Amino acid sequence: MSAEAAGGIRIRNIAKRYGSTVALDGIDLDIVPGEVLGIAGPNGAGKSTLIRIIAGEERPDSGSLAFDGQPWFPSVDWHQVAVVHQEPQLFPNLTVAENVLVGREGTRTRRPRLGIEDAGVMQALGIGLVKDRLLEDCTLATQQRTEIARAVARDARVFLFDEPNSALTDEESNELFREMHKLAGEGRIVLLVTHRLGDLVEHAARVAVIRDGKVRKVIDKPELTEEAIAEQLVVGTGGEQTATPKPSAETGREIFRVSGWSHGSEFSGVDFSAAHGEIVALMGVEGSGARELLRSFAGLEHCTGSIVIDGIAGPEVFGHTAYVPATRQLSLYSNLSVGENLIARLGVPQIAGPMLRLKKRRMREAAEESVRRFLVKTRTLAQGIRSLSGGNQQKVAIAQALTVGPRLVLLEEPTRGVDIQSKREIYRLLREFAAAGNAVVMFCTEVLEIFEAADRVIVVSDGRLSAPLTVRDFPHIEALAAAITRLERHTRLRLVEDVAA
Amino acid sequence: MTADSSTADQDRQGLSAAGSATFDIALRMGGLFVAIILVAIVIFILKPSSFNIDVGISVLRAMSSVAIMSLGLLLVIVVGEIDLSFGAMYGLGANALAVMWILWGIPIYAALPLAIAVGAVVGLFNGLLVTGLRIPSFIVTLGSYNLLYGVSLWITKTSTFNPVYPPPGAEIPESELDFFTGLTASFGAHPISLEVVWMVVIAAVIGWLLHRSLFGFRLTAIGGNPAAARLARLPVTRYKILAFVLCSVLAAIAGVLDFSFIQTTQPNIGLSYTFPVFAAVIIGGASLAGGKGTMIGTMAGALLLAELQQGLALLSPGPHVQQLFLGFVTIGAVALDLALTHVRKKRAA
Repeated sequence: MSAEAAGGIRIRNIAKRYGSTVALDGIDLDIVPGEVLGIAGPNGAGKSTLIRIIAGEERPDSGSLAFDGQPWFPSVDWHQVAVVHQEPQLFPNLTVAENVLVGREGTRTRRPRLGIEDAGVMQALGIGLVKDRLLEDCTLATQQRTEIARAVARDARVFLFDEPNSALTDEESNELFREMHKLAGEGRIVLLVTHRLGDLVEHAARVAVIRDGKVRKVIDKPELTEEAIAEQLVVGTGGEQTATPKPSAETGREIFRVSGWSHGSEFSGVDFSAAHGEIVALMGVEGSGARELLRSFAGLEHCTGSIVIDGIAGPEVFGHTAYVPATRQLSLYSNLSVGENLIARLGVPQIAGPMLRLKKRRMREAAEESVRRFLVKTRTLAQGIRSLSGGNQQKVAIAQALTVGPRLVLLEEPTRGVDIQSKREIYRLLREFAAAGNAVVMFCTEVLEIFEAADRVIVVSDGRLSAPLTVRDFPHIEALAAAITRLERHTRLRLVEDVAA
Repeated sequence: MTADSSTADQDRQGLSAAGSATFDIALRMGGLFVAIILVAIVIFILKPSSFNIDVGISVLRAMSSVAIMSLGLLLVIVVGEIDLSFGAMYGLGANALAVMWILWGIPIYAALPLAIAVGAVVGLFNGLLVTGLRIPSFIVTLGSYNLLYGVSLWITKTSTFNPVYPPPGAEIPESELDFFTGLTASFGAHPISLEVVWMVVIAAVIGWLLHRSLFGFRLTAIGGNPAAARLARLPVTRYKILAFVLCSVLAAIAGVLDFSFIQTTQPNIGLSYTFPVFAAVIIGGASLAGGKGTMIGTMAGALLLAELQQGLALLSPGPHVQQLFLGFVTIGAVALDLALTHVRKKRAA
């Protein structure tokens, strides 16, 4: 392999497990200086664990890393590695220049000073003029440049770009990628991790697809297309449409509609509807506006336009929705028990009577019913919520939202970080909920989830909605993945044409 | 564990607010009561002569105003906020009553509810600034502490009031004076002040609110995870404001009751209660992070402090000892808490 001749990083048989979960299951990867290596993979595939290991934030359980032929331990040699995050991990209360200097030793009586080289680095990155500004007053793009400058100044050899441009404008991300190529051109090792397949194809020389803790395939230049990556992301995942047959969207009565739905910055003039018994997926990368769109249906974002649920319009419609956030930190109460979490959204008259007196028996009955209906595996209702497995915690989070009897339930990545068994059960419960005459809209980032759970998928790109795809029309997941990728590019390109026109 | 015994467990425990922490809380409560008894024994050994029922009653009287304020502060702490102004509110409650009644001649029957209403207004002020303008409650109530003390100085013109010896020109009808002193009159063979009865009634009401009503359940949820509560559309703002209002109202009530018992008021009364009241709530097992705290624990915390204070006054080893004890007990209680949590986590793992 060229890696041995030219040096670079050699990763051999790296494994890492957390408790009973296998995050990495023998990763082999060669990273050559001077080229940009792309990394793609679904959530929970082990991508972020690999990044953390290379960045020295975690130690592998077994396997070896070598740098230029020498055994390498990133957790000791961390200063060699720089990670450019989506949200820069810097000190907002210091100036740009101070951020570049932080961590460097001064002498006992003097603070570290900005050297000529540091100034040169900042100049080259285009942040020389703002070096005395407080970081919190700078744009995200400047903050990321500061992060790069900080690493260049300490002469880091490895740069990990982790979803770097999800919150940047097109112009800003083009400039960021220019800097990225410049770093590669200087002979540094550059990794680009992103969900945006278009960026991978455009900027990476090779793309490694990681799934189930292994490198599935490294796609080289001639074959490197968005469709090829999309296929590798899902191929062989089996993915069955657990969604039981249901009346098609045409015959189902419409239950939810927004029109001319506009947000301050993320989207405008959106028309969207969902029918009785339907599960609709909104797919989009971070920054596409899909997440904000979903939240806006629950009244959590300030929007204008008309919204109707089951013939009801006006602000009270939001009372018929329930929203389940992506992270359980935003839906569960760690100081409450499993039972209390299940009924936390209930009030008068379900669990309290006159004078707000709690009906203890009704509380227990309601919690017991939820445990039965949602198959929550818990020993007692009184044990702490944190004692449950991740999958069961997620079931509690969803059950909690459904107890209030919404007509429309809105979920963000409903099975993120959840085991396969719980995943199945959650999909089945959502299906049951929909079949009872309600609608489900979920924000997804994984094709597998859409294939297994949704009836319809709509791709959101820069606040634009694509035409819908009917999931049942696709016999296998690879076809769906390819179609979604085409649709995503199409929506993106249509935007460019519109701007040009 | 068989299925049967686990249902039995559930029947016994229900959904108890403590959840899996039931055992910890039992230990914690047990520890607190053991401490209360130990202190009593130590005092008995050192000074047997002072150990009688009247001293016990005086401890209850001494704890009552601290306990009433602690219960108010408990609500604010459970919802995840801080109130520093209740001590100054205690003073303003008493001083506002004194000025309205003695100086302005408003009948006690109107002046008393008005003084308590001042508490409600102050609580509303604190709550609105915290929820509306998103100013941290530490800062809002640090400000209102000074504001309230300033108002007390202002309306009293820095003077002391005693309804039995009203200033020249003012006249207090006998019946009103009787009513006022009657609020905390002593009764029974071993005279016990009505103030103790008020404390017990208030403790029962707050205990019910916190542990038996939807208000308390949601207060606990909001304190545990305000972001989740907001996303679930629980009435976060309203409940936070209500907690501040109840805290200030209870402080005003405590001030008025103590005024009735002591019968004099000065502009600066109550300020020195700020830290003992915090200590009582913390010793009682509430968490400053919010979402955790019980009525019975808070009462036990207030009792332990009053016992130490009275006991050390009897033994008179010097004023420094009481301060040292207050410090040790506060830190010790929280250290014990952390140790217990650690033990439980280890056992669970």
